[in-house]
Amino acid sequence: MGEKNAALVQGTLDMLILKTLALEPMHAHGIGLRIEQISRGVFQVNPGSLFPAFKRLERAGWVNSEWRATENNRRAKYYVLTAGGRKQLKSETRDWKTQSVAIARILEA
Amino acid sequence: MNIFRHLKTGLRELLRRGKTESELNEELNAYVQNAADAKVQAGATPEEAVRSARLEMGGMESVKHQVRAVGWEFALEVFAQDVRYGLRMLLKAPVFTAVAVITIALGIGANTAMFSLVDAILLRPLPYPEPQRLTVAGTHQRGGSGMELISTADFLAWRDHQQCFEQVAVLDRAGTSFALSGMGQPERIPGVRVSANFFSIFAVAPLKGRGFRPEEDRPGTPGVVVISEQFWRDHLGSDPEVLNRTLTLDGKQHTIVGVMPAVFRFPSRRPASMWAIHTLNLPAARPPYGLLALGRLKQGISLRQAEAEFNDIVAQVTAQYPSSAELVGVMMPMKEWMVNDFSTALLVLLVAIALLLLIVIVNVANLLLARATARQSEVALRMALGASRIRVVRQFLTESTVLSLLGGFLGLLLAFAGVRAFLAFGPGQMPRLEEVGINPGVLLFTFAVCVGSGILFGLAPALETSRPSLSDPLKDTNRSSSSGSAHRTHRALLVFEVALALLLMIGSGLLIRSFVRLSGVSPGVETDHVITAAISLPNKYADPPQITQFWQQFLEKVRSLPGVMAVGTTMSLPPNLLAITNPFTVEGQGYDRYRQLQLAEEMLVSPDYFRALGIPLLKGRFFSPSDRVEGEKDPMIVIINETMAKQYFSAKDPIGSRIQTGDADPKSPWETIVGVVGDVKYSGLDSGPGPTIYVPYNENGWVMWSREMYLVVRSTGKATDVVPAIRTQLASMDSAIPLAQIRTMDELLDESLVQQRFRTWLISGFAALALLLSAIGLYALVSYSVSQRTREIGVRVALGAQRSNVLGMVLREGLHLVTFGLLLGLVGAFSATRMMRSLLYSTSATDALSFVATSLTLVVVALLACYIPARRATKVDPIIALRYE
Repeated sequence: MGEKNAALVQGTLDMLILKTLALEPMHAHGIGLRIEQISRGVFQVNPGSLFPAFKRLERAGWVNSEWRATENNRRAKYYVLTAGGRKQLKSETRDWKTQSVAIARILEA
Repeated sequence: MNIFRHLKTGLRELLRRGKTESELNEELNAYVQNAADAKVQAGATPEEAVRSARLEMGGMESVKHQVRAVGWEFALEVFAQDVRYGLRMLLKAPVFTAVAVITIALGIGANTAMFSLVDAILLRPLPYPEPQRLTVAGTHQRGGSGMELISTADFLAWRDHQQCFEQVAVLDRAGTSFALSGMGQPERIPGVRVSANFFSIFAVAPLKGRGFRPEEDRPGTPGVVVISEQFWRDHLGSDPEVLNRTLTLDGKQHTIVGVMPAVFRFPSRRPASMWAIHTLNLPAARPPYGLLALGRLKQGISLRQAEAEFNDIVAQVTAQYPSSAELVGVMMPMKEWMVNDFSTALLVLLVAIALLLLIVIVNVANLLLARATARQSEVALRMALGASRIRVVRQFLTESTVLSLLGGFLGLLLAFAGVRAFLAFGPGQMPRLEEVGINPGVLLFTFAVCVGSGILFGLAPALETSRPSLSDPLKDTNRSSSSGSAHRTHRALLVFEVALALLLMIGSGLLIRSFVRLSGVSPGVETDHVITAAISLPNKYADPPQITQFWQQFLEKVRSLPGVMAVGTTMSLPPNLLAITNPFTVEGQGYDRYRQLQLAEEMLVSPDYFRALGIPLLKGRFFSPSDRVEGEKDPMIVIINETMAKQYFSAKDPIGSRIQTGDADPKSPWETIVGVVGDVKYSGLDSGPGPTIYVPYNENGWVMWSREMYLVVRSTGKATDVVPAIRTQLASMDSAIPLAQIRTMDELLDESLVQQRFRTWLISGFAALALLLSAIGLYALVSYSVSQRTREIGVRVALGAQRSNVLGMVLREGLHLVTFGLLLGLVGAFSATRMMRSLLYSTSATDALSFVATSLTLVVVALLACYIPARRATKVDPIIALRYE
């Protein structure tokens, strides 16, 4: 299952992260955990893909980062979705839906 | 907005690398902690949890690296790293680096220098406002071609009736200098006469004062002149009150009305220090054709339109002067007219230099290849540790580009010096030389060439060494043969290099042959012990009797000087100082105006001219002083040359026959031929034979032309020794007349060949360089091959091979390459040299001797280059070789 994660296309991972952040700001580990939980274990994202993705998203202006205290009173970097990020998430979700409908159609034909 | 954000963040991170690094560290550690916490909650011990969390992360450094790679600033860091690494590698092999840098410097330097020439002369537009509207106009005979000077009648008609031009003007081509007197020693100042609207065509604002006013070129108006900034500084001490001062030019007063800034230099090939007004007198006949016509087109008018209109006007003038030839009007953009003659030569030189650069690139590529195979194991190790092929190739290319830029920088210095040297010592008579210099455009070109060359010669070694078969180089045993394909590339490059060198050598050989033939051409005169000078009588010599008397007395005085054997005067000097041509009609030919114009070189001479120059008399007699008796209307006589006699008087005796000169007109006076002399070249050593007509200088109707003549003196001793005496005699007759342009006939011959000599030397220099580079490349290749095959040679010798066998084996390999290169080069030369045809004199572009001689030279040099390392091969001690591993 770990191998499959590495094959996750960059863009898809970005979209999933944005979606996760749409609910609430989170730190790196939390995001990874949430993706794993909600996907019922299908996607286990390793840090080697997560952290570069964060940097990408930050550079693009879709997330901001700030240092906060965690539940355990440790310092961690929290990522917050920006307005632009929200817009991006909407458009990527739309594209993804269109694509998956088309693919499903082809597979069932 | 995204771009700016990217840039801003990247820049920030670049500058605060430490802080970014520690933040990332902290974040990753926090991640591990969080993961560990989760595991502890699931039941693991704290130590186990931390350890397992770290394992899951998979190596902090690797993650950090991946994160760093996301930003654009990372690429910059990597690039800087590559550059540092490349420099270190280069410094580690100083000899190699020095050789490579010097080679590159030569190639790039030559290209930069050449490009700055081509850029300034051929590419850049003229330095005047809206230069594309500047036009030159001329005429040629119906059925002929080219663009010749026009007559006053044509210009006046054009000026008064044209609609297409904002301004039109003419420049009188007859005079190239003025005799300046009244300011110390009389001297000749380069300058031309122009009509009133001349300056407004170029739209360059004068430094002081003004250009000419439209009415100033009418007959009867006082003389005015515009001087150059240079003249104002040198001769008038930058006098602030220079306007309205007067200068005495050719004996006539001219008022200074303006000073032109130094940027204005027209005509370009022989820059003028002053422009005096040319008075346009209403002509009685159409010839002579001695005016250069210029104009500035109106906005939106095309050249074709203007040309058609000009052609119509010219046709009308032909109708007005029925005896004149029928002419066709043509026009050309001014820049084209200026640089046309040189475009072939310059382009050939550019191609030659580009070829040289190609050879340099090939050589350096070979050098790099040889060195790269030594670094094979290093590269293999890096790739085994995870470097991608692209990364390795990129690093190699960076290194070679750095090398190229180093060489390029040195080359720029060389180019700078080279251009200086060219301007100082080269053929000075090229147009627009004042605009030549290293400017930003040239620098950009150099930079582009550097980067391009760097990539080109870095490509082969980069691709070769990063080939994915990693295990072989890592093993120790791979010494006996280099990777097959590297060697193949190396050899292919060398073949190419040899071919290019041969191409250049053949080009050079052709030029040398052509030049030798040209300089061997006899101008038709005896060139030793002859001194020449130019004398121009000022306007105060206004009547024929005054002029004739001056010359008679002066010639007599010079004749009686000790050391003088003969003295004469002439309007045109050999080998290439022809003053005028004139049409002529032979008695009995009829006056069909549609007949092809017969043109002869015509000149006024004094009786002893032929003796002074040693021109042989073939038939009849020379002129003599007794031919002309003052006041009487003697019959007009001429002397013709051998070619004219052969072409027009093959059936009858030319002596006693009659001709008319000027436009075909039955009413023209008849001139009787009294003598035939040998052919003399007046239009350059490479000109073909043509008719020449000599007229006594005091002939009726011609005397006024004899005010400007060359003095020719044959001395008994050294030619220059008589000059001071001649000067004294001239001063005693009239102290205002300078003795100008003093040159011996040998010097004149030399000067006429300056362009060709320079070209030949230059290309031969390149060819020699190319040959040297190829020889070095060949030597390097064979040496390398020998060092790679040491073991094999040792085995052979141990098995009984003789020295001669080994020698033959190594030589064969080298010669194999040379033969291929030779054939390739010959094929290339056959097709390429036809481009040079216009530069060759009486030498075919496929001249057998040149081809054979250069090929032989190449083979001999190549043999030598192969022989030295081959000899080394024969000295291989088999015991040492077999132990070598």
